[in-house]
Amino acid sequence: MLNMNGISKVYQTEMVQTHALRDFDLQVNEGEFIAVTGPSGSGKTTFLNIAGVLEPFTQGQYLLDGVDIGKLNDNQRADIRNQKIGYIFQGFNLIPDLNLYENVEVPLRYRGIKAAERKRRIESSLEQVGLASRAKHLPQQLSGGQQQRVAIARALAGKPRFLLADEPTGNLDSLMARQVMELLEQINRDGATIVMVTHDPELARRAPRNIQVVDGQIADFSLYQGNPAAVVGA
Amino acid sequence: MFEFRPIINALLRAKSGAILLLMQIAITTAIVSNAAFIINDRIAYLEQETGLPEQDLFQFNMMIFGKNIDLAKQIEVDESLLRSIPGVIDAVYINAVPLSGGGSGGSYNLLPSNEKSPSINASYFRADSHVLNTLGVELVAGRDLNESDVMVTSDVSELPKVALVTQAMHDEMFPQGSGLGKTIYRRDNAIKIVGIIKLLKGPWLQDERRDRSLIFPQVRPSSFQKFLIRTEPNERAAVMRRIEDVLLAEYPDRVIDVIKGLDQLKAEYVAEDTLMVRMLMVLITVLVLITALGIFGLTLFNINKRLKQIGTRRALGARKSAIIRYFLVENTLICSVGVVLGSAGALWMGAKLMALFSLPSLSVSYVIVTGAFVILMSLFAVIGPAKRAADISPSIATRSI
Amino acid sequence: MFFHYVDLSWRSLKRTPMVSLLMVIAIAVGIGITMTSLSVYHMMSADPIPSKSTQLHHVQLQTMDDGRDWWSDDNMPYQVTYPDAINLLNADLPYRRTAMIAAGFAVHVDDSDMKPFLERARVANADLFSMFNLEFIYGSAWTRNDEDSQASVVVISQSLNDTLFQGENSVGKTINLDGMTVRIVGVIKDWPTYVKYYDLNNGAFRDPEHIFLPFSLIAPNEIITWGNSNGWKAENVRGFQDKLKSEQFWVQFWVDLPTDEDELAYGQFLMSYMAEQQKLGRFARKELDFALRDVKQMMVYREVVNEDNKILVMLSFMFLAVCLANILGLLLAKFLRRAPEVGVRRALGASKTQVFIQHLVEVGLLGVIGGILGIFIAQAGLWGMRKSNDAYTVIADMDLTMLLSAPAIAVSVCILAGLYPAWLVCRTTPATYLKSQ
Repeated sequence: MLNMNGISKVYQTEMVQTHALRDFDLQVNEGEFIAVTGPSGSGKTTFLNIAGVLEPFTQGQYLLDGVDIGKLNDNQRADIRNQKIGYIFQGFNLIPDLNLYENVEVPLRYRGIKAAERKRRIESSLEQVGLASRAKHLPQQLSGGQQQRVAIARALAGKPRFLLADEPTGNLDSLMARQVMELLEQINRDGATIVMVTHDPELARRAPRNIQVVDGQIADFSLYQGNPAAVVGA
Repeated sequence: MFEFRPIINALLRAKSGAILLLMQIAITTAIVSNAAFIINDRIAYLEQETGLPEQDLFQFNMMIFGKNIDLAKQIEVDESLLRSIPGVIDAVYINAVPLSGGGSGGSYNLLPSNEKSPSINASYFRADSHVLNTLGVELVAGRDLNESDVMVTSDVSELPKVALVTQAMHDEMFPQGSGLGKTIYRRDNAIKIVGIIKLLKGPWLQDERRDRSLIFPQVRPSSFQKFLIRTEPNERAAVMRRIEDVLLAEYPDRVIDVIKGLDQLKAEYVAEDTLMVRMLMVLITVLVLITALGIFGLTLFNINKRLKQIGTRRALGARKSAIIRYFLVENTLICSVGVVLGSAGALWMGAKLMALFSLPSLSVSYVIVTGAFVILMSLFAVIGPAKRAADISPSIATRSI
Repeated sequence: MFFHYVDLSWRSLKRTPMVSLLMVIAIAVGIGITMTSLSVYHMMSADPIPSKSTQLHHVQLQTMDDGRDWWSDDNMPYQVTYPDAINLLNADLPYRRTAMIAAGFAVHVDDSDMKPFLERARVANADLFSMFNLEFIYGSAWTRNDEDSQASVVVISQSLNDTLFQGENSVGKTINLDGMTVRIVGVIKDWPTYVKYYDLNNGAFRDPEHIFLPFSLIAPNEIITWGNSNGWKAENVRGFQDKLKSEQFWVQFWVDLPTDEDELAYGQFLMSYMAEQQKLGRFARKELDFALRDVKQMMVYREVVNEDNKILVMLSFMFLAVCLANILGLLLAKFLRRAPEVGVRRALGASKTQVFIQHLVEVGLLGVIGGILGIFIAQAGLWGMRKSNDAYTVIADMDLTMLLSAPAIAVSVCILAGLYPAWLVCRTTPATYLKSQ
């Protein structure tokens, strides 16, 4: 599903070169649920941005679902994001002007899906996160947990094969965090591949596979239980 | 104290916004100084002294279509009739009316046409000896015309032997010494200057001849006639209303038309310029408002963008006055650069306008005053948002947005 | 998708009402001011007779002796002399042509209790009506025969016919012009022009005349011109007949030259005519010169659009530039503040183009609103102009072109202002704003 070979990312500012990722290798199979942990500044977010095709990388090869991401232009990358990937952010990133229904609708519109089909999908995904009755509400009228569920509904509506979550529970209390986590597990059981970045070991432990990023490379994965054969380490 | 360096650094980082504001200020300064200059120039033109009691003077046109009539005699009858109307001070049959835009002109020399001498263009009036009293203008030297001067003829080539000239005409012909009693020539006709009029604007205010006129004591009868009448103050409207009936009762086969006050004739003649002044005034007022609103809006935005930064500064102990000062200084910096650029632009534009159109050259004082005004205006526009910024709670720094 | 963008734009405008209002005001006022001056310019410079403007030519002859100065740009007298006009009329050429002067008469009708009134008149040749596309309601133009026999005939306009004869067919009736009795042979529709392009000597925006008399009546009836007479030569002009023979300029001359070849041929004719006149002692100059200007050239030459209007148009466009800078600054600030949202949209699969278009639609919407408001402001401005100056009663108006131009210019200006901010915002890297929100 996801195959990174020798990916590196260098941020170039006037003064300094920062190597956010160095020779990063990772393989994720279809249907996996991976938790990525690591200290702040380790390159977790860079990894996630590259994995989510949000940011170009400097070197290496990245195959997502068999597509060589490095060879795509900006528009094709937008299409990949739109059709194959769902995102869940720590800050929810709902658009404040739009109500829940319209927020979920955003990626579907960019995909050019017809209105009737959009409606069906939006309603079913809002149903799935238990917010169908509040479709007309604006994000600021909801609690953090509810907002994050909307964000999940938005990610689900596009029926992505690949779901990326960046600290999905970071802004939530523990009860809400557990609900969101259960939702993610459910989505994983339904067939989506999930990569989740978190600094919460509790949460990470619930994922079947854990990797840790330190200094832009995958570090000690054996700390957590997992399938060593599936991991290509440093 | 004024934190110039951090402000400049911040400005350099947010280049485009500052550059836009700067451009806006520059163009505004350029337009406003040029427009203000044109306005002032036109107002001076519109309000110039004419030497005439415009409020008490009026004219009318008359066309006599009756046949077999002695025009010269009828004119005399009409003149005495007009002069006898209560409220009328004096009236004359005249070939052209000052300030009306319609008249006659000719060129005059110091010597007859077979000898070379500089030629001066001037407008001329033909009327009988009542003309000076009717016009209500002031004689500064010499004598008024008298009845024995007046020549009644329909021969166009004959000219009377004497004339009154305006001071401007006199000064043009006799730059040194007095020309009173001297002779000037219209082609080969000798004309003696018997009196000098202080100020009398001619028929064309826009023309170079506006101040240069002659008055000939001459009546040339014609079926199409113009009369000029001066009334007692406040009597004009009443006389104007009666005039047609009085004249038609005397002799019916004629048409009286264009009964208009001199102030109205002048207003019609300068209507274009009045309109230009008004348009330009609206233009610069709105322009200044728009620019002020632009500055206001941009400052509001900048403050919103820097909400957290301002909060942090407040939390670190900055006083409200320091925050206000920060924005005022920032704005003044941008505006000053804009005004300097705009002043250069204004002078360039003034030169261009002068080259393209018949405008006088822009005086620098207008640019300076406009520049100062624009900076002042920008300070007013920025003070509101700056106060708002100063009211930002320091606690915002600790809150995540 | 377009309507979705319009919907999003509308919400975005509503979200920042203050800034939106500022921008709309800036555009509306900018467009209002620009359209006010542009409308007047447009009306003033509009072709008054599009079907004929390139073929009607105004004739000027350089009759002055060498060394004589005239105050026109090309030192060419604006009008021609009466003898030249007569000679040009008599030339045996296949072109329609007319000499003309402005005149005026006391108009009165026998057995009528209507008070006599002064009315301006145009004294011209029969070809005038067909040359200048004047339409007859009753009767027709007089004939060349009428001209040759100096017949006392007249053509009047519909409005004068309404005043004098309550609109009925007045052909055959007589009216008195001063002491001259003339028979009506035709009634035309009022001359449909607000620019007096056929005689620009006494103001370009005066009403066309309502009385038309044969040019041949000038000599026998001693019709004096109400237009300008200018002389350059010391001549003894004692009476009217002297004036007819004099070198004074007081007649306009127009000729209808349908093709470029005709124009060339007529030019050659004028040169040979002047050479012939030289033999008779006139045109005492080394180089013979003439000018043949068509309607539009004539309007430029005589500066129908005056300087003030040009200055105003120039200043208004600079004003619009200030408004543009104003909007640009506000848009920049507004759009950049929205970068996080754009980041989300980009992450959710919006392409750069989609983001770009979304923002251009937003500025376009601003332009439409501002442009429509601008029309109202321009209408107010034009109303003010009409109130301020009688000469602008007809000119200070917006025709359909101008009405449509207002939103078109507004939208173009806004899109121009929006290009850079929209480009900046569409370049937002999707990742940048996602984390820190």
